[in-house]
Amino acid sequence: MTLELTLQQIYDSPISAAIRENTNAFPIIETFHVIAITAVLGTIMIVDLRLLGFTSHRRGANRLIAELLPYTWVAFALAVVSGGLLFVSNAPAYAANVEFQLKLVAIAAAGINMLIFHGTAYRRIADWDTDTPPPTSVKVSGVISLILWVTVIFLGRWIGFTLDVLF
Amino acid sequence: MSVESFGDWLYATPISTTFRETVWIIPTVQSIHILAIAVIVGSALVSELRLAGILATDQAPAGIVRRYLPRIWGALVVLLITGLVLVVAEPARTINNTVFWIKMGIVSSAFLLTLIVRKPLLVAADDTDLAVNAKPVAWLFLLMWTAVIFCGRFIAYT
Repeated sequence: MTLELTLQQIYDSPISAAIRENTNAFPIIETFHVIAITAVLGTIMIVDLRLLGFTSHRRGANRLIAELLPYTWVAFALAVVSGGLLFVSNAPAYAANVEFQLKLVAIAAAGINMLIFHGTAYRRIADWDTDTPPPTSVKVSGVISLILWVTVIFLGRWIGFTLDVLF
Repeated sequence: MSVESFGDWLYATPISTTFRETVWIIPTVQSIHILAIAVIVGSALVSELRLAGILATDQAPAGIVRRYLPRIWGALVVLLITGLVLVVAEPARTINNTVFWIKMGIVSSAFLLTLIVRKPLLVAADDTDLAVNAKPVAWLFLLMWTAVIFCGRFIAYT
């Protein structure tokens, strides 16, 4: 009940109405969302492939991660803000959408996978920095990250086909 | 045959009908299309920021281009195939749409520009081999790919 009320309050907010009523607002925010997620996935993929042993422009994994992570974070922040605005435009419909719920779960799982990696294999990165292929635990982190982010893209696209729009 | 009547003919073909009526085909192909765009955005971001003098400036441009250009070519092939499926499935939404043709124009320009100014870098020895306008061209590439995404999303709304 409280959640439903909150979702309805979001729907009734001026910003929500503004996005719904301005014809170009939704597509423009969506475009920023696509730019952001392609930059998130594009940079993460380079790192994940390195974790699997496929080198890019650097042999060392540590330097590559340090170099690309800031871009991933900026893009992720843009994805969260733009995604947040899309959600705000129709909070009850998104909250009730199974693909949207699963997408949030997949993002959370990708976050946990990253935390585990940083808490374990990344602490010993000096030992495997230039190894190709890297140790199995590192490869596992890379594969899980790739699978989860690809899943996020698929689920995100599916929302567009399954959302019950209440305009 | 006009573009419209070609679109109508394509729409009526069995393959177009199958693509449209099989519920998972369009969302799946669109998802793969976005994944391929992500490969281009990641590869172009690293390559062009290098050429703009911002990222990995200790690495020779030739090495960077050698790593990422094949990924861009591969992704372009996937984009062409998945894009073709989407056109066949929904001809009216695409070939009758001005934004679609603007997108095709920008993609073709980016493709040609890559052949002209990026492919030669594969054999460039160091920074001195870079063209004089390397930095503006690097930003132009990033702008073009951004515009492609913009048009791609707006095809659905025009």
